[in-house]
Parts: sequence; structure tokens; C-alpha cells
Amino acid sequence: MSLTIYGQQLNSRLLIGSALYPSPEIMKQAILASGSQVVTLSLKRQNPSELSGAKNWQYIQDIVKQTNGFLLPNTAGCKTTKEAVTLAKMSRELFNTDWIKLEVIGDDYNLQPDPLELLSATEQLLADGFKVLPYCTDDLVLCQRLYDLGCQVIMPWASPIGTGKGLMNPYNLETIRLRLPDATLILDAGIGKPSDACIAMEMGYDGVLLNSAVALADNPVLMAKAFANALISGEQGYLAGVMAERQTAHPSTPTLDQPFWHQPGSN
Amino acid sequence: MKLYINGQSFPLTKNGNTLEQAINQYMDSQNKSLDLSFAVALNGNFISKDDYAQTKLNDGDSIDVLFPIQGG
Repeated sequence: MSLTIYGQQLNSRLLIGSALYPSPEIMKQAILASGSQVVTLSLKRQNPSELSGAKNWQYIQDIVKQTNGFLLPNTAGCKTTKEAVTLAKMSRELFNTDWIKLEVIGDDYNLQPDPLELLSATEQLLADGFKVLPYCTDDLVLCQRLYDLGCQVIMPWASPIGTGKGLMNPYNLETIRLRLPDATLILDAGIGKPSDACIAMEMGYDGVLLNSAVALADNPVLMAKAFANALISGEQGYLAGVMAERQTAHPSTPTLDQPFWHQPGSN
Repeated sequence: MKLYINGQSFPLTKNGNTLEQAINQYMDSQNKSLDLSFAVALNGNFISKDDYAQTKLNDGDSIDVLFPIQGG
């Protein structure tokens, strides 16, 4: 169950967000329960006189220290290349990491990434030494372009952020896996249930990034454990090799030496 | 000098015209320590901490002071 991101080996294939939890304490318990070593966070204009932001930041630092983990800043809310590049540079200085979860949103309704701005921002950030983890749609050609630019990690969506709708287009996601066998693929956004994460792992995805599915569960800590288990099950299923689907029924029990009342001619 | 910090009008009242002075005054106005974690952009461009003191401001400049926040 190890995942490698830009050469950094991690113990868990789950990447987890730090938003929307009922409290900072529950956030900490849930993230620790998930086993994840990568926590996403962001930069905003929050009023520094409000303590909640500072408190959350302290908790996130504690979690990363306790897990030997890593911060993954995002560029949430950015709509242009310039905005995303500026925010990435601010994050690099503040969080002391060249990892960036690159989000460039093109539509406010479904928070769909803008593929053109995403490619442009990716190109600039890679040239500036960033290790880019782009959040993108499940478009094969877009993913291919991102990989060709030099992204070792690609993060297509399962469905729009925060919807919990799960894998909307399994065919697209499977095709991306098939066509980009050497890319590290992490399913990001739209995950609702542990079974969604399990399906992604059964497809051969390398990891899953989620937030709302755990944070908005009735019991976030228990749900975090459920996701951790789901990822393990899915990966083991993938490695074990799923049986081929068949069109017709085949008896599981051997038919040889059946009792006499099944023999031809018997009443 | 009239500035905009985090979208709000912010007059630079004391003598001075550098980004460092503007940040100092802004944080002071918020009763917050400069030890807080933050990063700064000037007119949409990232400015490194090392450059705050050398960065001269102009009337109408827009500054963003951003802080860590939870995110997904």
C-alpha cells in the first residue's frame, strides 16, 4: 500500500482534505484514522483577527508532524493561469513545498477545470520547478497533454467537487488508466462512498484524494477508517486480478457425479 | 498613500512607501503578530519575503496578504 509522488514514497494511497470538518479536533482524529500522509490546504484572505484559521493551521501542522506527512497546497478558487501561478508561488514560500495541487476553474456551476488555463499554468509551474498535481476532468487527451508536459501525477475527477456522486464516467477513467500506464493516477473529487474509492483502486488507480466524503459523514473518524480499508481492498482486488465477466450462468458446484434423480431417464 | 489590502481601502498613514511598511501597518491594525504565517502578492504578483523591504509602492497598489486555511 505504498504510493510514490514525485519520488516521495508514502505509506497510504489516500490523500485527504482538511476542510468542512465539524471541528479541528475531529479533523485531526479523522485524518489520523485515515492513515493518509498527505493533507491538502489552501491560502485565503481570512481576517487574521479571526482565530479559527490560525487554529486549523496549528492542527494541520500537528497532523503532518505526527504522520511524517506532507502538505499539499491547492490553488482553489483560481480561474486564470496568472492567479494560479501567483498562488502557487505564495504557497511554495509559506508551506516550504514545491508540490501544488493545481486547480484552475472554468465554470462556477460545476467547478469544472478549465483545460486550456490548466495546461498553460502547468507549463509555467513545471518550468519554475514545481511538482504539479493537476486536478482535471476525465478527458483522455487532456490527461495525455498534462503527462507530456511533465506531470508525473494526474488527478482526473470522479465527478464535480463536493457532489459525492462517485464515478460518473467509469469508461473514461478506465481508458485513462489504460492509455497512461506509467502515470501516477489519483482520482480526485466527487467521491461519496468507500465503494467509489474501492472501484477506482480496482481499476488500477494509484490513489484517491477526497475531503467531503469524510468530513461530511455523520461520523468522520469512522468514515476515514472505512475509506482506508476500501483502498486496501480495491488495490488487493486489482493486484489479485478480477475474473473475466461472462454472459451466461456457469454452475459453481461441480456437475459430475450428480445424484441419481438428475440422471437422464429418472423420474 | 492610498492602498488596497485584501480588497479593502487601506491608507498608508505613516511615513514610508515600501511593502514592508504597509504589511507592518496592516498587521498592526489587525492586532496581529508578524510571526503569523502569511504570504503576499502585489498587484497580482507574488513578492518574496526577502523583497518586502525593497519593494516600493505606488498610490492605488493592491496587496493581498494570504493566510493558511483548510482546503480540499
